[in-house]
Amino acid sequence: MSRKDVLVDAQWALAHLDDPKVVFIEVDEDTAIYETNHIRNAIRLDWKNELQDPVRRDFINKEGFEKLLSAKGVKSDDTVVLYGGNNNWFAAYAYWYFKLYGHGDVRLLDGGRKKWELDGLELVSGEVTRPATSYVAKDQDRSLRAFRDDVLKAIGVQNLVDVRSPDEYAGRLLAPAHLPQEGGQIGGHIPTAANIPWSKAANDDGTFKSEDELKAIYSAAGVDFSKDTIAYCRIGERSAFSWFVLKELIGVKNVRNYDGSWTEYGSLVGVPVAVGDEPGTA
Amino acid sequence: MTTCGAVVGGRSIENVDISKQAVIQGVVQKSGAPVSVGYVRLLDRNDEFVAEVPVSQKGEFRFFAAAGSWNIVTLVPGGSARQPVTANLGQITDVDVLVG
Repeated sequence: MSRKDVLVDAQWALAHLDDPKVVFIEVDEDTAIYETNHIRNAIRLDWKNELQDPVRRDFINKEGFEKLLSAKGVKSDDTVVLYGGNNNWFAAYAYWYFKLYGHGDVRLLDGGRKKWELDGLELVSGEVTRPATSYVAKDQDRSLRAFRDDVLKAIGVQNLVDVRSPDEYAGRLLAPAHLPQEGGQIGGHIPTAANIPWSKAANDDGTFKSEDELKAIYSAAGVDFSKDTIAYCRIGERSAFSWFVLKELIGVKNVRNYDGSWTEYGSLVGVPVAVGDEPGTA
Repeated sequence: MTTCGAVVGGRSIENVDISKQAVIQGVVQKSGAPVSVGYVRLLDRNDEFVAEVPVSQKGEFRFFAAAGSWNIVTLVPGGSARQPVTANLGQITDVDVLVG
């Protein structure tokens, strides 16, 4: 896997907007943004209402994902290009989700909606629909997803990468600073986790830094690329962004995203927690 | 579960107990008028990224920070701006951002 297999730029996107085998999908938390405007021919995917189980905290199952993508008009062998706001957080989350269910060719639009807007490229309004398909998903690939017991076993053994901001890592903030600070969980981080904010991997315009820059950032923060790695954040979408960087851009093997993340871990009874700017000990 | 995503203009302060927040909010203007496309970034005392929101159609943005010193960095098509701001717990700090 190389950068060109998983990332497309605006020039590539513009050349493929009418390609019947390429499906552009916008993924934003706030679907009102899509209703305002979007890239021409892009359909939308609702991060919360379509990808999450409506009752329990989990993803929709394989059959649900097949039903969803069939209704969206996506085929299993289509090239799916994801993009969105928040520096592609939710698009990266959807990328990881598509990989979880075994979709072959998934890519991110480098820079996402932000770079597209800042570059003044065309955005259009109106809902886009595609003819229904019969999408076939694979069983969930658990090698990409970590659960709380995996995380507890990884303390002091594997690379744990906390991709939240330094103030969230230290316990000074309980959520990103564009959200009210009203978390139900305690503050802090998983002991021995390195703090490598997701933002270190991105340029100001939302594009990803070069592979050499990315390797240097993670190495300097103490990530041992020969070990297995688990990334986490607050609810798992910023860490999906960092999972993408580690797994797809740097090419690290055995990287998992802990989507339970701090909202789960910080609410568990009896687990070790570290506070402050240092990783802490096992 | 509240998602981590930033919504256009920042989250509403409706039903939020301001006494427990250190709110930074404002309007981004260029050439004397609010911008409708732009991104405002909050950086901590070490210049580390903390949060970013797209501005509203009226150029508005809002953060829920902790008390202390911050920097606001704004990107709009063809321009940028940077300015320091101090937030206090229980207060709303208004910032006018002028992009050259």
